[in-house]
Amino acid sequence: MSIKISVTVNGVKHHDRVEPRLLLVHYLRDVLRLTGTHVGCDTSSCGACTIHVNGKAAKSCTLLAVQADKTKIITIEGLAEDDMMHPLQEAFKECHGLQCGFCTPGMIMTAADLLQHNSKPTEEEIRAALKGNYCRCTGYHNIVKSVQYAAAKMKAAKKPKKEVVL
Amino acid sequence: MQLTGKHIINAAPAVVWAMLMDTDTLARIVPGISRLEKTGDHTFNSILEIKLGPVNSSFTGNLQLENVIVQKGFTLRGQQNSKIGNASAALKIGLSLVNAVQTEVAFNGDIRLSGLLATMGQRIMSGVANTLSKQFFANLEKEVEKANV
Amino acid sequence: MSTNDWIGKSVRRVEDKRFITGMGRYTDDIILPQQTYASFVRSPYAHAKIIGVDIRAAKSMQGVVAIYTGADVASVNGVPCGWQVNFKNGDIMKEPKHPLLVADKVRHVGDAVAIVIAESQAEAVDAAQAVNVEYEELPCVVNAAEAVKPGAPLVHADVPANTCYDWSLGNPISEVDEAIHNAAHVSTLEFVNQRLIPNAIEPRSYNSSYEAATDKYTLYTSTQNPHLIRLLMCAFVLGIPEHKVRVVGPDVGGAFGSKIFHYTEEALLTWCTKKIKRPVKWTSTRTEAFQLDAHGRDHITKADMGFDKDGKIMALRVKTFANLGAYLSSFATCVPTYLHGTLLQGLYTTPKINVDITAVFTNTTVVDAYRGAGRPEATYLLERLVDLAAHEMNMDPAELRFKNFIPPFDGINQPGYQTQVALQYDSGNYEGVLKKGLEMLGYENFRNEQKEAAGNGKLLGVGFSTYIEACGIAPSAVVGSLGARAGLYEVGQVRVQPTGKVSVYTGSHAHGQGHETTFAQVVADKLGISMDDVEIVHGDSEAVAFGMGTYGSRSIAVGGSAIVKSIEKIIEKGKKIAAHKLEANADDIEFASGKFTVKGTDKSVGFGDVALTAYVPHHYPAGLEPGLDFSSFYDPANFTYPFGCHIAVVEIDKETGNVILKRFIAVDDVGNVINPMIVDGQIHGGVVQGVGQALFEGAEYDANGQLTNGSYMDYCMPRADDVPMIETAGQVTPCPHNPLGVKGAGEAGTIGSTPAVVNAVIDALWSGGHKVKDIRMPVTSERVWRAMQN
Repeated sequence: MSIKISVTVNGVKHHDRVEPRLLLVHYLRDVLRLTGTHVGCDTSSCGACTIHVNGKAAKSCTLLAVQADKTKIITIEGLAEDDMMHPLQEAFKECHGLQCGFCTPGMIMTAADLLQHNSKPTEEEIRAALKGNYCRCTGYHNIVKSVQYAAAKMKAAKKPKKEVVL
Repeated sequence: MQLTGKHIINAAPAVVWAMLMDTDTLARIVPGISRLEKTGDHTFNSILEIKLGPVNSSFTGNLQLENVIVQKGFTLRGQQNSKIGNASAALKIGLSLVNAVQTEVAFNGDIRLSGLLATMGQRIMSGVANTLSKQFFANLEKEVEKANV
Repeated sequence: MSTNDWIGKSVRRVEDKRFITGMGRYTDDIILPQQTYASFVRSPYAHAKIIGVDIRAAKSMQGVVAIYTGADVASVNGVPCGWQVNFKNGDIMKEPKHPLLVADKVRHVGDAVAIVIAESQAEAVDAAQAVNVEYEELPCVVNAAEAVKPGAPLVHADVPANTCYDWSLGNPISEVDEAIHNAAHVSTLEFVNQRLIPNAIEPRSYNSSYEAATDKYTLYTSTQNPHLIRLLMCAFVLGIPEHKVRVVGPDVGGAFGSKIFHYTEEALLTWCTKKIKRPVKWTSTRTEAFQLDAHGRDHITKADMGFDKDGKIMALRVKTFANLGAYLSSFATCVPTYLHGTLLQGLYTTPKINVDITAVFTNTTVVDAYRGAGRPEATYLLERLVDLAAHEMNMDPAELRFKNFIPPFDGINQPGYQTQVALQYDSGNYEGVLKKGLEMLGYENFRNEQKEAAGNGKLLGVGFSTYIEACGIAPSAVVGSLGARAGLYEVGQVRVQPTGKVSVYTGSHAHGQGHETTFAQVVADKLGISMDDVEIVHGDSEAVAFGMGTYGSRSIAVGGSAIVKSIEKIIEKGKKIAAHKLEANADDIEFASGKFTVKGTDKSVGFGDVALTAYVPHHYPAGLEPGLDFSSFYDPANFTYPFGCHIAVVEIDKETGNVILKRFIAVDDVGNVINPMIVDGQIHGGVVQGVGQALFEGAEYDANGQLTNGSYMDYCMPRADDVPMIETAGQVTPCPHNPLGVKGAGEAGTIGSTPAVVNAVIDALWSGGHKVKDIRMPVTSERVWRAMQN
C-alpha cells in the first residue's frame, strides 16, 4: 500500500507515492536524494536530522513522510538564498563551528529556528536551544560562538538603510 | 529484575485456585495474553502483546506451572521470545487463607531481559511491571465478581 | 612577512563549504546502481549456544536477495588483531577467531548470526526479523576481575581463565615493593576506569561492490584508514589480491578511534557482493553502534604511589585488569600495554615504577582504542593519585607537582628524558604549563572564594591534571619489536601540475580534523604559493599510493612530515631546473617565497615557470627526468610527547550533590602549531569528551551481559548546556625530531581533562569536610550526595 503525498521542499513541489511507514528523513534522503539531512540515532535524540517544517525546526526522524503532506519544508540544502549563504552558514565557517560536519546541518537548522524568534540570545539561551542536538567533535564551544556571530551579523544587516549615514 | 507483590482477593482459596488453573480464565486475567493454548497438564504455549514505553512487541513462548501444590501455590516459569529481545521469568505464586471468603495472593520472582528489551526497556521495566501486576489483580477481581454473581 | 606565510595562521577551513551546505558525502549518502541493502540477525544473549538457524520463512519474503549464516562463512578467516603481545613467560597471546558470522555460539549481545540482503532496507529488516534462531543460554561473565577467577564461564573454550595475556613493564617488582614499603607516605587507589562508548554521530556504514568483468571490488567505508582496511581485509580475511580492491573512506562523521578497526561487516559485505554480483550496503543503527562499535577504557586498577617525607614520589605500583570484550579488536592488545603502561612515568621523576596488566575476555562488546587510548587511563591513575596524596599529606596539589616535575629539556641542547617504562620523551617544559594554568585560574584568589562558597550552600573545588601523551605513532622498528604487525610510517605525495598548481596525496585521513586546510597551509607555506593552488586528496586507496591513516594524534607529525619530505624533493629538483633556466649552478640557487633565485643576485624564476618547464622540457638539464612529482614514506624517529595542564573548577550543590562545571582551563603544549583555530577546536572537543567520562558517560552491563544503557535515551553524553566555554592557552616546545616541530593535538583534550574534573569534585568534597579518597565515574549527583552523607 502506498499513499500519495505532495510536499514543497526547498521551494520545489514534489508528488510521490510513499509507504505509510516511511520516515520523513528517509523520504528526503532516499527518495529526493537530499542527503544533507543526516540520521545519527534511532531514538530522536541526536538532532542530526533537524529540518524546518512550515517554518519551525523539527526532527525529521520523528515524522512520517505522510505527515509531511501539504507542508513546506526547508532542508540544509535550501537554507542559502540565491547562492547567498545564510548568516549561520557563514558563521559556522568563520568561527570553526564544525569539525566532521555530520551534526552541522541539524545544528544550523536548529539555530536558525532560534534566531527567528530570538534575535539576540544569551549564551545560556543558545545552549538551551541546542541541547536537542548532539555534537561529539566541537565541545559546543565554537558552535555557541557561531550562533552569537550570526546573531550579530543578522542584526547589523537588519538595520534600515535610511539610518546609514553617508 | 525482582518482582514482588501481594493482594487480597474476595474469594476463598479454592475459588481463586480454580480460576488460576483454568486456561480460559487465565488467558483473560494475565495482561497482554492474546492466545493461550494448553499443551499438557501444566504447560502452555502463549502469545503476548506487550507495550513497554518505547518498546512494543508480540511475544511468543511457553509457560509452565511447576511445584504445584493444590490451593497453596505454584511456580510459573516462562520463556517469551520476541523480535526485540527475550524475557524469561520464574515467579513463585502463593495462595494463603485470610478468612473463609478472602485469599491473599502473593508473588515473588525475577524476570531476565535480553536484547533491545534489556537495552531500551530496563529503565522503565519496574513501572511496567507494577502496572501489569495491578492489571492482573484487577482482572482477577473482575473474574471473582463475575463468578459471585 | 610574505603573503604566503601560511603556517601559524588561523586560516578558515576549506572543507567547510560542503558541510554547511549539506553537500558532504558520507558513506550512507552513496547509492550505487543495482544497490542492495543488508540487515543482520544478532544475538539477544551475551553467551549462548546456537542450536539452529531457520531461514526458510525469511528467504521467501518479498525483496529478499540472499541470506547467509555462520555455516556459509565457516571457511572464511576471522578479522585479525594487528598487535601481538606475549605473556610474561614468553607464550604468544591467545587469539581466538573472530568470525564474520558466528556458527557455534554467540559471545556478546549483538554478535552476528546471519546477514539478510534485500532490495530495500525495510525489506531487509523485515526478513531479518523472520529468521528464527534457537539458542541455549549459557552463563556469562562481564567483569574482567571476575573472569579470571576459577570457575568463571569461559568466553572461548580454548582460553584458560579467559586470559588473553599477562604483561608487565618497568623496574623489577621486588625493587618497587621495597620502595613502597620504605615510603614515608603511600597513597592507594582502587578504582574502575569505566567503559565508554565512542559514539561518533555518524554510525558506521559500508557499501561494497564487485565488478565481474574486471574482478575488481570497491568498498566505501566510514573508516579512519582506508589502506589499512584494504590490507587487513585482503591479506588476512578474504585472501583476495590487494590490487583488485579499492577502498574509499569518503567524508566520515567523527570517529575518535572507533573507526580505525577492521570490522567483520566490512569483510562480510565484500564477501557477499561477489556472491550476489550486486552492491551491498549496510549502515549501523545507533542501537547496533552501542552493541558493536569498539568500546573504550574498562580497566579495574589498584595503584600505590609512595612518597618520601618531603613529598617526592619514590615509587609507583600498578595492577590492572583490562577488559578486551568477547574478541580481539584490531589494536585492542596494545592499548592497555604499550599505550598505557609506557605512560606511567607521567611528568614526574618517579625512580621506580612497575605496571602489571592482565588482559581478559568477557561476554561484552570488544574494547579497543578510544580517543586517547590507554593514555587517558594512565593520566587518570597518576593525576588522581598525586591529588589524593596532596590531600592526604596536607600539601598543595600544585606545589606537590612542581616538586616532582622532570626539569625542562629541549631534546637538542639537553637530551631526551629516559623513563622507567621504556619511552624516551622528546622535549618538555612541564612546570611552564602549570604556571600558566595557575595564572589563568587566579589560584590564590580561588582558595579564598572556596572558603566563602562553603557559607552559601555550595562547595567549590579545583582539580589539576598535568598530563603527557605519546603521539605521532610511531617509529616502525620500535613498534615492530614490541609486537606491532604493521609499520607506522606515513605516505605523502606532492604532485606539481604543469601550471604550478599542486595536488597532495596523503595517507592520513580526515574525519573532522581539517587536514584539507592544515596540510594545504604547510604545502602553500613551504612552496610560497597561494592556498587556493593546493588541493589535498585523501581517503581513496586508488588515488593515494599507500597510507597508515589517522589515529594517535599522528596526522600532522607523521603525515605532515611525509609531505614536507616530498616538498624538499620538489624544491631540490626545482633548483636543478631553475639553474638550467638561469644558467647558474644548482648549488647557487636558493628557494624562498615561491621563487628560485641565484644567490646574491636578483636573477630569479618563479615556481610556476619551473613547474611548466618540468612538464614541457624543451630546454632542460641533461639527464634529468621530466615531471615534478614526488612521494615519500616518513617513518618517525620517535614518538612525539605533547603535554599540558588542565584545571577544572566545579561547584557542588550541598543539598542535591549536583555538580556544575564552572570553568575549564586547558594549557596545552603540542609543539609548533600550524593552525591555532583548528588546534583550539581539537582541544575544546577533546576536553568535553573527557568531561563526559568524568561526569556523564559509562556503559552499564547487568549480570546477564545486557548493556542496559545502549541508546541515546539511556547513555548520557555532554550536551550544549552541560559545559562552559573552554579557556585555552598554548605553550610551544617544538618536537626536535620532525621537520615541522609538531607534536599532535587530537587526543590532548580527552587525556588531560577527566582527572582534572574528578579531582575538582574531590577537592570540593574535602573543602566541605568530606574526606573521601575516591568517587566512581561518572560522578553523578547521587554518588556525590552519598559521599557527602558519610
